[in-house]
Amino acid sequence: MTLTAPTTKLPPAPPTGRGGRPGQRSAARRREAITGYLFTAPTVIGFLVFVLGPLVAALYLSLTKYNILTAPKFVGLDNYARMFRDERLATTYGNTVLYVAAAVVLINGFALLFAVLINQRLPRALTYVFRSAYFFPYLVALVYVSIIWQALFQKDTGILNYYLTAIGGDRIDWLNSSEFAKVSVIIVDTWRNVGFAMLIFVAALQEVPKDMVEAARMDGANEWQVFRRIVLPMISQATFFNITITIIGAFQIYESIIVLTRGGPGDASRSVVMYIAEVAFNKFDMGYASAIAVTLFLIIMLVTLVQFRLRKSWVNNE
Amino acid sequence: MSNLNVPVLPSRKSDGRGVRRRPGVGKSVSVALLVLGAIGMVAPFLWMFTTSLRDASHAYDLPPQWLPTEWNWSNYAAAVSGPVPILRNMLNSAVIAIAVSIGMIITAPMAGYAFAKLEFPGRNSIFVGLLSSLMVPAQVTIIPLFLLMRTFGLLDNPLSLILPGITGALGVFLLRQFFLGLPQEIIDAARMDGATAWQTYRLIALPLAKNAVSTLGVITFLGSWNAYFAPSIFLNSTDTATLPLGLVLMLGPYGAGNVAEVMAATTIAIAPALIVFLVAQRWIIASLTQSAVKG
Repeated sequence: MTLTAPTTKLPPAPPTGRGGRPGQRSAARRREAITGYLFTAPTVIGFLVFVLGPLVAALYLSLTKYNILTAPKFVGLDNYARMFRDERLATTYGNTVLYVAAAVVLINGFALLFAVLINQRLPRALTYVFRSAYFFPYLVALVYVSIIWQALFQKDTGILNYYLTAIGGDRIDWLNSSEFAKVSVIIVDTWRNVGFAMLIFVAALQEVPKDMVEAARMDGANEWQVFRRIVLPMISQATFFNITITIIGAFQIYESIIVLTRGGPGDASRSVVMYIAEVAFNKFDMGYASAIAVTLFLIIMLVTLVQFRLRKSWVNNE
Repeated sequence: MSNLNVPVLPSRKSDGRGVRRRPGVGKSVSVALLVLGAIGMVAPFLWMFTTSLRDASHAYDLPPQWLPTEWNWSNYAAAVSGPVPILRNMLNSAVIAIAVSIGMIITAPMAGYAFAKLEFPGRNSIFVGLLSSLMVPAQVTIIPLFLLMRTFGLLDNPLSLILPGITGALGVFLLRQFFLGLPQEIIDAARMDGATAWQTYRLIALPLAKNAVSTLGVITFLGSWNAYFAPSIFLNSTDTATLPLGLVLMLGPYGAGNVAEVMAATTIAIAPALIVFLVAQRWIIASLTQSAVKG
């Protein structure tokens, strides 16, 4: 109360650091703590109500039988045991793992290739145009780009098959054959996400010291050796980030498949998230759907944690 | 192959010319590859726009025309007056996206500032807890959230998407990163001059974070504008549907909708992303890449 505040409305100003008496200092500290809690309160409440609470509820529901009309009935681990006998779950998880593998390899492979190409000393305007073109699909809703692509994929009217037959190939039933339905989903997923991963790689490539690369060239290293021994280790943190992001994203693949193939033919292109949504909101088997969702959560958590550990060993963190 | 055993000095000499020539050849090859890739990225959008301007009866004409051959805007009129209320859906999307963005740019900078610049017991563990929510996929929480919204009568109501959207760990993380880089002296000086914690934040720190906050706003807006999963579960009538839901309805099962009209509606739907992209590309790219590269 010894300090006068500029306006009467202000509460006492905090002590000027070291000068204050112990009592004053702890009062100031308490005020700062209260401010901290108030500032974080909306976010923390949102987290508790919309993330942590539902997560705990999902864990509980996964141990019950619940059709939303009658109260949940505790069934222990029945839902988890049921998964091992569920062939549709095996199919949809199999598809999803394929999408994940394809995403990791194709998105990151193309992204790295384009990033290395774009990182050469090209005219500025050209770099800008390329970066924009590759990145734009990432900003557009997956639903919208999938709507465009499903038209391009049409067997008789689509332009993909037009060009395919023009160069002497056979028409492909992109959306209705069980192999190509998956291929179509992978094409759209790669096409949309390559730009974002590329930007991450470009940002990392720009941090690679040029003199280090020059020195290696002087010593007779060829381009591949420079890339393999210097550039790749230097950008490993970006690689780590991109791989994690693509794995997590691909495990959750959903709306592109809804638009392209509706999961078909049969379950040939259905992802596990589509299956969860079907079990929960068409069949109202909330307990079983929650159990499947929990496995997805565990996988994503595991991937994140494993990569976090790996990062320490193979990421160059200097 | 003959190069393998060449001693370092001569090879450097002969490389002297090679170095100058190789980038020339390499560069044109890489530009060619990049052009090819860029065409692949842009072509679907070009086809969408061209098709949206064609008469419906010519929409499937092959060979495909890449540049508009006719400027027939009637598909746009038909798209917005069809059985699916596209304009209404667009308004729904806009209301939700704007509300979510405003909420986010209020809550996230405050929390980010507190985690970066204020001392309080449990600060770090709360922050780590929040960050761990980034590992929780939306599919896990969607069933309890659905039940929650159902209990409070919020199904088929935009609030079911707004309330969970106005806070989030990613924004807090981005803004905390920014505020960590803010010199402590600025904060201390303001406090010494008698400003309260709120005034220091509101009048000193927040204005400095203008770019970070705008970027967060843009990213949040686009994320909401593009969302499909949660809206498809919480909303179930054509009047409350957001634009992505409306377009999927319009497309119909197995892509049976009139393709020219669907492409006209898709063009309309993509326009905001295009505008944001043209205006804010630089910021978005900078903020999206910094967290990955600088860790």
